Amino acid sequence: MMRRTWWLLAIAMLALVLVATGCGGGQADKGKPAQEQSATPSGETIKIGFLGAKTGNHASYGIETLKGMKMAADDINAAGGLLGKKVEIIEDDHRSNPSEAATVTQKLINNNKVVAIVGDPTTGITKVAGNIAQQSKVVLLSAGAVGPGVVEIGDYIFRDTLLDALAAPAVTKYCVETLGWKKVALVTSVNNDYSVGLTKIFKDALAKYGAQIVIEQSIKDGDQNFSAQVTNIKQKAVDGIVFTGYYTEGGLFMKEVRKQGLKQVMVGGDGLLSPKLWELGGNAVEGSMVYTGFYPDLNNAGEKTKAFVQAYQKANNNALPDMFSAQGYDAVMLIADAIKKANSADPSVFKNELAKTQNWQGVTGTISFGPNREPVKSPVFLLEVKEQKWAVKAVIPVTAQ
Amino acid sequence: MLDMFTQNINPYYLQVANLLGIYIILALGLNLITGVTGQLSFGHAAFMSIGAYTAALLTLKMHLPFALSLLAGGCVACIWGVLIGFPTLRLTGDYLGIATLGFGEIVLVVFTNLQITGGAIGLAGIPRYTNVFVVYLLVAITVYCMYRIQYSRFGRALLAIREDEIAAAAMGINTTIYKVQAFAIGAFFAGLAGGLYAHLLQYLNPNDFGFARSFEILNFVVLGGLGSIPGTILGTVVLTLAPEFLRFIAEYRMMIYGLLLVVMMIFRPNGLLGGVDLSRVIKRYRSKRLERASARSISSS
Amino acid sequence: MFWQQLINGLTLGATYALIALGYTMVYGIIQLINFAHGEIFMVGAFVGVLAITILKVNIFVAMFLAMLVCMALGVTAERIAYRPLRRSDRLAPLISAIGVSIFLQTLMTVIFGPQPQAFPQVVEDALYKLGPVQVSRVQIIILVVASFLMVGLHLIVKYVKIGKAMRAASEDYDTAALMGINVNRVISFTFALGSLLAAAGGVLVGMYFNSVFPLMGVQAGLKAFCAAVLGGIGSIPGAMLGGIFLGIAEVLGIAAGYGDYKDAVAFTLLILVLLFRPTGLLGRPVQRKV
Repeated sequence: MMRRTWWLLAIAMLALVLVATGCGGGQADKGKPAQEQSATPSGETIKIGFLGAKTGNHASYGIETLKGMKMAADDINAAGGLLGKKVEIIEDDHRSNPSEAATVTQKLINNNKVVAIVGDPTTGITKVAGNIAQQSKVVLLSAGAVGPGVVEIGDYIFRDTLLDALAAPAVTKYCVETLGWKKVALVTSVNNDYSVGLTKIFKDALAKYGAQIVIEQSIKDGDQNFSAQVTNIKQKAVDGIVFTGYYTEGGLFMKEVRKQGLKQVMVGGDGLLSPKLWELGGNAVEGSMVYTGFYPDLNNAGEKTKAFVQAYQKANNNALPDMFSAQGYDAVMLIADAIKKANSADPSVFKNELAKTQNWQGVTGTISFGPNREPVKSPVFLLEVKEQKWAVKAVIPVTAQ
Repeated sequence: MLDMFTQNINPYYLQVANLLGIYIILALGLNLITGVTGQLSFGHAAFMSIGAYTAALLTLKMHLPFALSLLAGGCVACIWGVLIGFPTLRLTGDYLGIATLGFGEIVLVVFTNLQITGGAIGLAGIPRYTNVFVVYLLVAITVYCMYRIQYSRFGRALLAIREDEIAAAAMGINTTIYKVQAFAIGAFFAGLAGGLYAHLLQYLNPNDFGFARSFEILNFVVLGGLGSIPGTILGTVVLTLAPEFLRFIAEYRMMIYGLLLVVMMIFRPNGLLGGVDLSRVIKRYRSKRLERASARSISSS
Repeated sequence: MFWQQLINGLTLGATYALIALGYTMVYGIIQLINFAHGEIFMVGAFVGVLAITILKVNIFVAMFLAMLVCMALGVTAERIAYRPLRRSDRLAPLISAIGVSIFLQTLMTVIFGPQPQAFPQVVEDALYKLGPVQVSRVQIIILVVASFLMVGLHLIVKYVKIGKAMRAASEDYDTAALMGINVNRVISFTFALGSLLAAAGGVLVGMYFNSVFPLMGVQAGLKAFCAAVLGGIGSIPGAMLGGIFLGIAEVLGIAAGYGDYKDAVAFTLLILVLLFRPTGLLGRPVQRKV
């Protein structure tokens, strides 16, 4: 009987401690509205928050974005900081869980007092966080969201990604007119919002340029077995495969395509852009094409890109950066430049400078924000896998529609 | 007046508090099904998602008032609870659990493929109506209802089914009807919580309601103590706040969370408050104090 | 085309069956749904990758090493997380198993990172034509190894002393203990056996799909668990049948154009089977005692 009582007491104490720490923090903020505090950065550093997953699904995007962000912060700090202060990256993990992402966003804004948040690499969670950032008047710049309905949330929300709505039609035109694709198979990962969105864009573009989708197949993120889908595709004569999912499934899918003796190559968006594509796909992805707004081509790249790629390789065992790390780097740099130009780290001030960004030279190419804050990035690189390396197949300039 | 109050609280704590309240409602609903009635359910997140999508769509497309959307969300989830309950409750024990798990995954796949819910892209732009007052008003109502249910004739029948279904049937309890009712009530509260969740996050994605979420809710109930209302609430509080307090250890956080589950189960296999009757504990304290007081008065005299 | 899909389904089903056997044996004896079993499978796959890349051994030695490591892991997990809970409510060890599963997933994410690791190319890609169908060498290895292991398991359970003890314990735990069977040893043995099969499954799946990642156990574990229930949980032939049945049903579902609803196909089937045969295809009917 006594043991039970002790347990109760211990639990009650624990609960009290939890509640007390919670309330204590809350009371410290009393008297000053949270928004006002976040607007004027306290202390010696300018804080930029990282929003993304470090564990769970999509963790690799988060981790890569974070690597790029930290490199940007190091570069800024090495060059003397920003407005005389150091830049600090505040990181937290949300496991790709929307409710936890909302909590993390609130924590970054209200407890860490960040002036801007970079993330999330996925569209869905960017929408959750975007609503909160907009209401709290903190800049949110997504380094990965490509789906619709992101910047529409409000004037504090930005993104620095290559938009599929601009890139995919350009690539489709190339495939149809230059490569002569008339009949294609379209593969979508149905539980992946990026893939579903991209499929819609490709469908319109294929129709526009006169190619016919003769078979559509569905896969799911996390699937490893594609034998049934490939067997279905095998029954139709197609010129090529349009694959809108991510590289993990892409590599494995092509592996199965070759296993069943098909010769076609696939084309897809930057979701396929990772060396993992051939690590997983081996020779099967040889000749497959991927478009991207960022390509670490040391021979033809600008100074900024070269420096970034070399620094990244030095820190990561010679591995090449992917678009997430590059976009994470650019995101922090874009924010830093806006803060410098505005001469203020107040989000309500520097967001206007950020919105005015035109022909900004970054690691991932040239970025301009349109009147609706949608980015226009040029050019699109169409890459081809050649001997387990990327090779540029075409460089297609993009203009705003 | 109320707005003044919330404006002075750090929104981070409000966010955690809101989620906590929503989880409490979910956990109490599951506690009625699994804790009180003893019917294993691995698909609670499915009812939550049904309520969430229903409420969100009614608000977005029909512009219904928030209260009505919430109520409708709960009712639709409740109807599905009955529809699922009748055939599957013929199953017993783990088989029922598995069937509900299957139901949950099917609901997930359907929401991923439906047009009206936005499929995998998700449903965005839901207005943020949920606030801490609505949440805790509903928590209070849920707790009250659960107490009334558990200590009524109906609740005692449910307990009888948990303890021994055949004996309960022999005593004249129509076990199927009672089980379906318990299922329906649990599903209703899950739907209600789902509606709150939708209007808190302003964005819904089917992947958020997978079996991982169902097990998370089950963890709350089992860790707190099956059948115990204060236990369920305590379990929810501990398991919701633990990951927040463990943030400082970054990547290792979920490792510790996993260990925490194992260790807590080993030391309290019946849950934190399992088998503990709070009113009795208080009574015992009182009587002990009385005893001591009387003993003292005797010895002093 | 039907036969081709059937071969695809059979290969997939064989891997489900290997994992399902672990679920079913453990359930048969201690009525525990071991939710950490999918993670044992995942660890097995990782050990296989490490053995091939670091120790430069061939696929069969790698599989053997993976089996050893996973046996130790499975037995340890049982000792620490499930044994203290054997006499408590049925849900307590279940939650404990979920804890173990979350722990192992995060541990592997921390060590290896979340990205999929490529499985080294150890078997030459080659296609064999068998009448209307093409079978790859990897598929043949999977089918042969899986059948070999299943036959081995069957012989152990049927004829070896400890296998007989396993059957006795699953028939009636308490009576078996009274008859002088060391039940703790039997349970440890069951976990070792189940983990061994899961590890083999992990290496085979890694080799087949060429990728290994920390969350790979979640989906595979869930499917295998379904397979175990489909066949009648607690029944060893049932798990084999259920796994193969599920694999084929899933592949044929996709072939018929229901790819979007692939997972729903598996679970709908599961619910339907349960409704008409409440204890699965080969499960014994539960006797309800007062």
